[in-house]
Amino acid sequence: MEEFEKTLSRQQAAIEAERCLYCYDAPCQAKCPAHVPVPEFIQSIRSGNLHGARTLLQTAHPFIETCGRICPEEAFCQSVCTRSKIDAPLRIRELHRFVTDSTDPTDRMELPVATVGRVAIIGAGPAGLSCARELRIRGFSCDVFEARRVGGVPSQEVSTHRYPREVEEREVCFLTSVFAAHVHTEYVTDVKPLVADYDAVFVATGLPSESDMNIDGAQLVGVHHARELLRRMKSGVTSGAGNRVGIIGGGNVAIEVASMLREEDPTRDATVVYRRGIKELKAFKKEIEEATALGVTYQFLAIPDKIVGNHHVEGLQVTQAHLCEEDESGRCRFEPLPGSSFTIPLDTVVVAIGQRVDEDVFPGLAHGNLGLISVGENMETSMPGVYAGGDAVHGAQTVVEAVRDGKKAAEQIAALVAGGGK
Amino acid sequence: MYREHDLSYDFLGIHLENPFILSAAPPTDELDIAIDGLKAGWAGVVLKTTSVEGNPVNLKYPMMSSFGTAAHKLWGLGNIDLISQYHINEICERVKTLKGMFPTKMVAASIMGSKKEDWQSPVWQLKKAGVDLIECSFSCPQGSMGEAPGRMLAQSIEATEKVARWVKEAAEDTPVLIKITPQVTDIVEIARALKRAGVDGVTASNSVPALIGVNVETLEPLPSLFGEGAYSGMTGMAIKPLTLRTIAEIARNVDITISGNGGAYSWSDAVELMAVGASNVQFCTLPMHHGFGTIRDLKSGLADYLDRKGYASPLDIVGKALGSIKGQEELVAPCSHSDIDVDKCIGCGNCFRACNDGAHRAILWDAEKRKPSVDSDKCPGCGQCMQVCPVNAIRMKEELDGKVHYFEFGGTRQD
Repeated sequence: MEEFEKTLSRQQAAIEAERCLYCYDAPCQAKCPAHVPVPEFIQSIRSGNLHGARTLLQTAHPFIETCGRICPEEAFCQSVCTRSKIDAPLRIRELHRFVTDSTDPTDRMELPVATVGRVAIIGAGPAGLSCARELRIRGFSCDVFEARRVGGVPSQEVSTHRYPREVEEREVCFLTSVFAAHVHTEYVTDVKPLVADYDAVFVATGLPSESDMNIDGAQLVGVHHARELLRRMKSGVTSGAGNRVGIIGGGNVAIEVASMLREEDPTRDATVVYRRGIKELKAFKKEIEEATALGVTYQFLAIPDKIVGNHHVEGLQVTQAHLCEEDESGRCRFEPLPGSSFTIPLDTVVVAIGQRVDEDVFPGLAHGNLGLISVGENMETSMPGVYAGGDAVHGAQTVVEAVRDGKKAAEQIAALVAGGGK
Repeated sequence: MYREHDLSYDFLGIHLENPFILSAAPPTDELDIAIDGLKAGWAGVVLKTTSVEGNPVNLKYPMMSSFGTAAHKLWGLGNIDLISQYHINEICERVKTLKGMFPTKMVAASIMGSKKEDWQSPVWQLKKAGVDLIECSFSCPQGSMGEAPGRMLAQSIEATEKVARWVKEAAEDTPVLIKITPQVTDIVEIARALKRAGVDGVTASNSVPALIGVNVETLEPLPSLFGEGAYSGMTGMAIKPLTLRTIAEIARNVDITISGNGGAYSWSDAVELMAVGASNVQFCTLPMHHGFGTIRDLKSGLADYLDRKGYASPLDIVGKALGSIKGQEELVAPCSHSDIDVDKCIGCGNCFRACNDGAHRAILWDAEKRKPSVDSDKCPGCGQCMQVCPVNAIRMKEELDGKVHYFEFGGTRQD
């Protein structure tokens, strides 16, 4: 499948690299949750040392192929690039992607014998696999338990236009083979049995469930959960959505599912229905641009009242909103305009209003707000020797933040074992 | 519509409509190309170096190579070119044609020979053809003709003086410039020899002998002719500082007219060459890179400069900077300190790192605010921080006898 974004040519990358100021104690590197050594890898691009650049990236970051494509650069490195004080920020993510696209994974690796300890990792997404890699580097052996496709959200739910299968497979295959993570296809719902068998457990299950829409008509035929649809389409099964689809939400999942529905059937209407305005959309800029290019349309300032229909969805009744003052996050509050309701004719409604942890799993662990797993500073849960990270702890976040959690958990686990264990 | 500043003046008795000349090089090696250059507005041409009939010129291609960076590919241009394959009879015909077409432009020719008659007979022919000026290449880096192949004539004081005399003897009242190389132990001795020989001036200076590069993948030198290469003559922006020194050193020591050549890429480069003693400026790499149309900005930039500075003629610039060029031992010793404009600073930390790793560890770094500051006890004001600052937020504050002077970026292309 053709990708939206083309990789930079060697010349484009070299010219872009020349714009880097090589800041001391570089803000881009500090802002990156994985602490990718940005100025150093760019210096290596400039000198033509692409394998050196790859080694730097690969050392810092287990998911470099993934992040080179889908990392929201405006949220991290590029948002603090000093160069923007002169003209515009460096295209850091694209340079990063240039390196991974131009080189093969560095396999000149010396790994210690895995005798330090054994760790069970629940969830083979970015957090879990990052933790496994970092632990393997430290001489641990890991068993990774995964109920779905290995690779987590990017593998299961991100459009192949943005994240091609071959890139995913190269990344995940490299991580599981080189770092010898033993992946077991198994749905683990309780950590207690694992605690006895392993030196430590890392829970990185993400957010398996989706929030429901508590309005009339949510049970009608033709109402879908967004991520379930994404997983279905990504695995090659048709979505079953109709020709007039309304997607309720304004986050990345809403935009992603709208895009994929258009990709699946370009004659279909896919309208994102959102309570606030375009500036309040929480999705990342690049994803919105790509969705717009795919023909996704928007109904802003529309508060869903009820889903209309008898047995099957026939429309979405909404009340028009108007924007008020900004809230503490800098986004405008909205208020309904009384008497302004109208119905958007639809045959399918996709709910993309949030995701959550299954609170009934991991009964022994303390859960906090929204059912997220509670952890301390050192990422340890309420159960000694059991650590947690990624979306299951923080709510939906980015791949690179999950990577940070995985790396940090590995450090903590290594320290625990070095200190005599739990 | 707009008044044009008069840039004309006399150079060795020849009218120049502006100071910008096309040098003896590929842009003047074909008649139609030279015609286009003059039509575009260049004040004159020095036709590519010629020689007596029958002299074999064995060019090898490819002859060009370069070095630079991805964004600036051509900092330095190299060639393994030789003199023109057109001999003196053809060149004389071209002189006549060009003088007929462009009576107000300078039409000069460049010659190279070995024996006395090979230097003198072209001069007689060119005079008869009506040439305005004769330039002699004593410095083609790709091997000269004559007694010491591979060695440039202008690297020998005695040979330089002897041959220059031959040419001037033949040229009589036609002006003669000798084109010299910067690659000598003492450029002043060469210039003095030329002064003794009685020639009218020097062209300072020719391309610089160089090895442009080695392809690290194949280990072939640049340029590569079936894997083998030769030393080039290097031109372009990279050599401007060498040319400036060569011109300044001659001008400070010898009373002789100088035609500047080597590394000028803009009107301000030309002003620099003239400020250290050149009476006009020859160009080759610039038109070979960006075309003859570059003359427009050369003229308009120079005109604006003269207006701004209140100079009537380009000649008013000549030698203006010479009085301030001294030996290091003659300089005053001010108390110098780095002076950082924190409002202009964008917080990249390059100054801190450069000072910390390569100077005096005199810049302090506020990691939180990302701002540098100067430890004045440690800072001798060396100026390295100022060189690495990407936004020119640093200058050197110099104090001497109660007076203050600033060394800062602020030139035309450095704001």
